[in-house]
Amino acid sequence: MATDGQKKVVVIGGGIAGMEAAAQLARMGYDTTIVEKQARTGGNVANWDHLFPEGRLAGEVVQQLYQKLSPVRIITGSSVKKADMLEGQYILTLADGSVLTTDALVVSTGFRTFDAHRKEEYGYGIYDRVITSADLEGMLNEHQPLFPGRHKGPRRVAFIHCVGSRDEKVGNRYCSKACCAMAVKQASKVKELYPDAEVYCFYMDLRMFDRRYEQMYLDAQAKSGVNFIRGRLSEASEDLQGRLVIKAEDTLMSKPLKMTVDMLVLMVGMEPASGARSVAEMLKIPVGHDGFFNATNELLEANCSGTPGVFLAGTCTGPKTIPETIADARAAATAADAYLRKKS
Amino acid sequence: MFRERFSYDPLVLPFLLGLIFIVTYLALGAIRMIKNLPAEDKIRLGKSFFSKQILLSIREIFNECLLHLRIFKKNPVLGYMHMSIALGWFMMIVLAHVEVKLYAPSRFNLPYYPIFFRYFVRETQETLDGAVFFFLMDFFLLMVLSGVGIAMYKRFNSKATGLRRTTRLKWNDRIALYALWSIFPLRLLAESFTSGISGGSFLTRGFGMVFETFVSNDLHVRPTWWAYSLALGTFFFTLPFSRFMHIPTEMLLILFRNAGIKHRTTGTGIAQTEIYSCSRCGICIDACQMVSAARLENKATVYFIRELREGGRHNAWDMASACLMCRRCVEACPVKIESTLIRSALRQDWKMLRREPLSFLPVNHTGPARVIYFAGCMSHLTPGIEQSMVRIFEKTGTDFTFMDREGGICCGRPMMLAGETRAARELIDRNKKIILHSGADTLVTSCPICYRVFAEEYQLPLKVQHHSQFILQMMEQGKISPEFREGTRVVYHDPCELGRNSGIYEEPRKVIAAMARIEPVAEEREMGLCCGGHVGSISLTHHQRRRIAVQACNILLAPSPDAIVTACPLCKKTLMDATAEVPVVDIAQMVDNPELLRKHPNPVLQ
Amino acid sequence: MAVQFGYSINKSNTIDMDTAPRAMESYLLLHEPSFARCIGCGCCTATCSSGVFTQLNLRQIQLRIRRGETQGLLPEIQKCMLCGKCQMVCPRGVSTRNVVLSIQRALQLLS
Repeated sequence: MATDGQKKVVVIGGGIAGMEAAAQLARMGYDTTIVEKQARTGGNVANWDHLFPEGRLAGEVVQQLYQKLSPVRIITGSSVKKADMLEGQYILTLADGSVLTTDALVVSTGFRTFDAHRKEEYGYGIYDRVITSADLEGMLNEHQPLFPGRHKGPRRVAFIHCVGSRDEKVGNRYCSKACCAMAVKQASKVKELYPDAEVYCFYMDLRMFDRRYEQMYLDAQAKSGVNFIRGRLSEASEDLQGRLVIKAEDTLMSKPLKMTVDMLVLMVGMEPASGARSVAEMLKIPVGHDGFFNATNELLEANCSGTPGVFLAGTCTGPKTIPETIADARAAATAADAYLRKKS
Repeated sequence: MFRERFSYDPLVLPFLLGLIFIVTYLALGAIRMIKNLPAEDKIRLGKSFFSKQILLSIREIFNECLLHLRIFKKNPVLGYMHMSIALGWFMMIVLAHVEVKLYAPSRFNLPYYPIFFRYFVRETQETLDGAVFFFLMDFFLLMVLSGVGIAMYKRFNSKATGLRRTTRLKWNDRIALYALWSIFPLRLLAESFTSGISGGSFLTRGFGMVFETFVSNDLHVRPTWWAYSLALGTFFFTLPFSRFMHIPTEMLLILFRNAGIKHRTTGTGIAQTEIYSCSRCGICIDACQMVSAARLENKATVYFIRELREGGRHNAWDMASACLMCRRCVEACPVKIESTLIRSALRQDWKMLRREPLSFLPVNHTGPARVIYFAGCMSHLTPGIEQSMVRIFEKTGTDFTFMDREGGICCGRPMMLAGETRAARELIDRNKKIILHSGADTLVTSCPICYRVFAEEYQLPLKVQHHSQFILQMMEQGKISPEFREGTRVVYHDPCELGRNSGIYEEPRKVIAAMARIEPVAEEREMGLCCGGHVGSISLTHHQRRRIAVQACNILLAPSPDAIVTACPLCKKTLMDATAEVPVVDIAQMVDNPELLRKHPNPVLQ
Repeated sequence: MAVQFGYSINKSNTIDMDTAPRAMESYLLLHEPSFARCIGCGCCTATCSSGVFTQLNLRQIQLRIRRGETQGLLPEIQKCMLCGKCQMVCPRGVSTRNVVLSIQRALQLLS
């Protein structure tokens, strides 16, 4: 419980950014509360299986973050409905009607994966062998068989990069940053599970920007035997035998290419979380055309929202990988700390 | 006494010269327009004068040129404004002529005499017998003045008359407009000043008496009648170079149209009469989504037509190539100017390089079957529609063949819309061979763009159906009976090519109504919105199209439905890209899998 | 009489950006500015309705214009049926139909 004079911070969103920011703020001596919409903390990462680049288990990573939360009060299954500022403090009304007062806020509403139904030409929700990267991650995490009722493994699996990212047509111009590496990781994993299968990655550009990612790419090529084709999928269909056929141009060959596959994995990108817009309106956080939050200075004040006492952490300001998210969360905690010290 | 017995006064000159000018100009213009018609159209026009079409034309001219019934239906205030000026003025002219015929038959052959009757007539006793005439003349003058009043108010405050935007005028239009506006107040002043001598009724006599209290009426008689004559003269001289040319041309257009004359080119024939019949009322500006959503005000039909009449054809080409060809403006137009046909003709005029024949295209036969299904190019990007249609064919035991399962030849309509008529014919001929060879008695298509060209251009000896019609037929035959989902509320988006441009509004609605409650939308049926994806546009950018799509979505989502239902792959894809709030479902998918009508499990950006 | 050296000089295979004709590129950038947005993903070529029957490759044509290799373009570009599928799938929102029509107009003006 809060002691007299102890400053309070509320973290909106209990994904990995919110967990890390809350843990750091609690360590600095603030009375910290996480408000999480879902029934559990851990956000999207809690649904993943192995994490790139080194294959750590997502469950373990989330568990390690959770262990640092013992001094933090966690409210799950609720969300902030109203925020009022009174004498330098925020008075937050939650969905259940309860009220929290706080001196500062960290917003870490995170992302949700792109709804692949919206790219109907890829056949998600139409052909049952079309799944998303998130679906695949869940299946791997829960040790579900990828090809139920099939004695032999798949002959061919294709991964499609940039589904719902870098796509003006669905309104998402940006690169989702994590999916290239995730595709390479998943492709290698499928190849590991089904060594006889042919695995293809269809990419526009491979964005392997981290120190370890190029190694993953190299291993996928040389060790796992994943194939890479530079071309974006135009459409998927079923042929007369009911097999899934995909069409792309092999742009390095300058020829259209079609391929029969047993499974199509769509690498869905990141979009701002569903509640992000209402949080932004409530706290007057500037929002870009893409729905992600804009910080006051994307280089030097990447965690400042422009509203006094409101700080931004994690993927609510744009797609990030896990280490970037953790670093960003710590930076947000530091910025909140600086604000609260100045205030007293 | 300043008035002569001769019944001539130099003050009639501006009017008289103007009248001679305008009558000559219009006569020559009409002759030229008729001369420019192709021979067969001339014959059509000639024949129409001796059939009952001429009666229809006369009735239409009365209804539209005087009463303006179509504008009345769109907007009663604007309708009254047009009717009061046109009918009021017409009646004043008629009454003046009757009056002269009755009271001064010897002067009847002087064309200016009836107009200036009040000025010339000095025997007040004689005319007082016609108190009824005085009353009627004043009544119609008041009517015109009320219309002019609305017109002036509208110019400065267009919202008051229900128009969000009004046409921006050029100087030529302004001169004619101000001349027209001044005619009737001047007439009122002139008549008021003469009312003491020549007589008047409630309006002119009343004003005359009021003026008498503070000015000497006699001194003002000549200047005001001069001004009146000058205003008329100015109006007549500027009319051919202004938008008011629509008044005489519309009559010719009605004659042409009722004679069955079709669009061929932009420069001659019915297109030319249409261009001159545009009153620049600006109703089309509000109808155009390029204006309301994409903020391309200068692309509105009224400016396109003005550009064709007055400006360079290059600008007109730019305007023509942006248009989505949704035909909302035609639906809104009180003169029913088929501006999309003029645009098509202009696109054809823009000569391309000589084209190689499309000989590489094969004729891949399919069938035989009773029904031949053509999904259309766009449906390949919405595989859900194709899949559902195949299932519906199978479920209803229809003997069908899928003409373009592996990709087929385009129906030809996009080519036509781009002005490449000859290449389009090549595509049509190939597809026609395949369709006829299949031995089918029905062609079903999922794409309204294809539907329209199949129905209008292919001249197929078999039934052409959009899939919504086919599904309704199957339901009526009891071959499919979807369940009504209590509590499900949907909106229906009319695809331009299916609704407004093919007249198919009811079949899709009947199918949907059997499954869910249809919520009314602010703009639907004849004024249904374009989704922004139409292949009719050549040069609209993606971002302009997207704005139109977002606008359509906002209006469709106003009743907060569970789903948007439509019947076109292109509309579906475009609307889906613009909203993530609710599912966008094709009618075929809805019948095949009603579960799709549920709101997304993953609700998004609020 | 010319001396025969027993070999001939082949036309260079190099794209020489110093001499490459760029008029077509300029025309397109002016008349259909979305031409500049292409990232060469190849979606247009993959989805092409004509591409089922012939080797129409819009992505490559775009690149050829960018590099000044515009010989023999007309018969190729005229294989397009203008169906608009490429425009629907383009992730960069290029107005591909107007690109095709503008190429034809450019060829007409530059010929």
